[in-house]
Amino acid sequence: MSGTRAIAVLLEDRLITLNRVVGLVRRRNFPVRGLSVGPTGTPGLSRLTIMMQSDEAAAERAVQHLRKVVGVRDAAALPQGEAVTRELALVKLRPPAERYAELLDVVQLYHAAVVDESAEAVIVELTGSEAFVLSCLRALERFDIVEVARGGAVAMESGAGAPCLDTQPQLEAGAR
Amino acid sequence: MSETLSGSQILCRALLEEGVDLLFGYPGGAIMPFYHALPEYPGLRHVLVRHEQAAAHAADGYARATGRPGVCVATSGPGATNLVTGLATAHMDSTPVVAITGQVPRAMLGRDAFQETDIIGITQPITKHSILVEEVEDLADAVREALAVAIEGRPGPVLVDIPKDVQQAKAEWRGGRAERRNGGTAEAVGLPPFRRSALLGDAVRLLAGAERPLIMAGHGVILSGAYEELRLLAERTGIPVVTTLLGISGFPESHPLHLGMPGMHGEVHVNRAIQQADLILGVGLRFDDRVTGNLAAFARGAKVIHVELDRSEIGKNVATEVGLVGDAREILGELLESVAPRDCEAWRAEIAGFRRERHESFRGELTPGGILTAIDAVAGGRCTIVSDVGQHQMWVAKLYPYRRPNTHITSGGLGTMGFAVPAAMGAALARPDEAVWAISGDGGFQMNMQEIATMVQEGIPVKMAVFNNGYLGMVRQWQQFFHGRRYSATPIWSPDYVRLAEAYGIFGRRVERGEEVEDAVREAIARPGPALLEFLIEQEANVFPMIPPGASLSEPIEGEPAAPRLVPA
Repeated sequence: MSGTRAIAVLLEDRLITLNRVVGLVRRRNFPVRGLSVGPTGTPGLSRLTIMMQSDEAAAERAVQHLRKVVGVRDAAALPQGEAVTRELALVKLRPPAERYAELLDVVQLYHAAVVDESAEAVIVELTGSEAFVLSCLRALERFDIVEVARGGAVAMESGAGAPCLDTQPQLEAGAR
Repeated sequence: MSETLSGSQILCRALLEEGVDLLFGYPGGAIMPFYHALPEYPGLRHVLVRHEQAAAHAADGYARATGRPGVCVATSGPGATNLVTGLATAHMDSTPVVAITGQVPRAMLGRDAFQETDIIGITQPITKHSILVEEVEDLADAVREALAVAIEGRPGPVLVDIPKDVQQAKAEWRGGRAERRNGGTAEAVGLPPFRRSALLGDAVRLLAGAERPLIMAGHGVILSGAYEELRLLAERTGIPVVTTLLGISGFPESHPLHLGMPGMHGEVHVNRAIQQADLILGVGLRFDDRVTGNLAAFARGAKVIHVELDRSEIGKNVATEVGLVGDAREILGELLESVAPRDCEAWRAEIAGFRRERHESFRGELTPGGILTAIDAVAGGRCTIVSDVGQHQMWVAKLYPYRRPNTHITSGGLGTMGFAVPAAMGAALARPDEAVWAISGDGGFQMNMQEIATMVQEGIPVKMAVFNNGYLGMVRQWQQFFHGRRYSATPIWSPDYVRLAEAYGIFGRRVERGEEVEDAVREAIARPGPALLEFLIEQEANVFPMIPPGASLSEPIEGEPAAPRLVPA
């Protein structure tokens, strides 16, 4: 069944490796919805999350292709419906003074936070699933959005199972 | 005692230590330090080609003939970009080629320096791996890793890009074996043993229960050397074998169980057998579109067992019942131990009923079949055939009686015209004890005929045959069938090949009649060194049968079609 699936990739923390992986994604025409990359607890390794609109078999084939890339240590498709995915968005708004209180209500309703405030504008931080972020953005539209910056999703299998990729859980400063 | 060497010396020494003794290359600015060091290492033979593309194809031909990595060398910029077609060819056909390219000095990287190109970026989609050597201390390991990656698992090309100042820098020589690379292990991961034996059991049951089973053998049979295992498995079960273009010579052509080549130009009975089969055991092939025709209509009644080293190939094109990931030779060996003897007599008789008289659209006696028979007869069955791309490639694939393993070399996946002549140089250096024939059309031959000079300079005795029909024949055939006979840009003029041969100081002869063929072939073989035969074949002959592109294997064109004439001829 087609749906949005997350693929987690553990790869060497080098631009050439990231370049190879992204090149593969383009070349093999993976139906990609989003990419995000960040450090892991293991020095020298990054974790890349690829969100794909595909069925299970295509996601599994993508994993097999990814595993062939030199510099990729491992890759895994997270089971759909059994993964927690989160996106981050920063939204800069210029709410009219008289609607500021209303904005704070919306922020609270969505468990968002005001992370920057100036005389003219505020920046709101949102975290949630893609659908949640989109819904929140719609709710914020009426407060005069100036700029939106969204990050790709990170994902993790729910439950107490073993990690899908073999990395150190503890973060080291400057691992990246 | 420690020994300090330049990067170039380290490069030469690491190559030698890893067993490399032959390089095909072309010098230039950014690779000059390497060429400066080269004479100090007489164990490394260098063949100066006339174009870097030929260096890559020659390395490929050498790799295919030996199963060892073929190495080519080029300078930065245009030297490196000229390798691209050869690397793509090797990539598509999974052959172990290592390309070493010079690069501008590190300080100039990224500044659009003279003869700078991002060859790593350019070749990324067509190499298995590539390494930019940033420190001279990493150079020896980079060479070891490149050679190891090229050959292990599913082979493929690897590029090592070495900035000029890294070649010049000095470092202590550190011997040692290739380090294991990180990641890129899909093919090696394999399956847990319990899962594997369960899958083998499934395969054995399917093979025992099928009424119309078929083995499709691809390049993996040759790459893994699974000839014996394949033959014994076929003989024990009576299952007929088809060989894909790159699987040809993986199974003896004369064997009663051999059916022929499948796909676009496959024989009618082969494609019908595929379409009627209830089980296909695919071994080391990737179910390429030229093999399957329209996928939706491919072997609808067949379950598929796929034996394949590269896990990502399983289920890529055809739905697979049982995927057996691993080396073809090992897996066929394991199957062989478990399958019960059986016979598929009724099924084979049914296939025999599908056989058709081959439609020969040749007038006169000078036919591809006649030429190939003469080449085989004169060689006494001991020769290697390297073909180019086009009509002749299909004739060479279908009409030559391959008796020995791995004696057919061609560019199957990429379909690279110009491949045969340089690839045959590599094959000839790999097989000095037998004749190596480069068979080309008049189009492909003219793409790399400059390499005759290389053969003369280096004493490489390639025997060349040009099937000259005055057209880019395969394209003309498509124009005839599918483009209303509008022969746009397909008539092609050739030089006088006999005088061309003379200009290079080699033997050349033009053959216009069938009765001259054997004598000409005999003379070409008798003359030492390279030789060039031109065969003036029927101009508008076609390769039959043919599955039109996009059509299913059940829809062959078996003879001249009544194509409507859209434009006046």
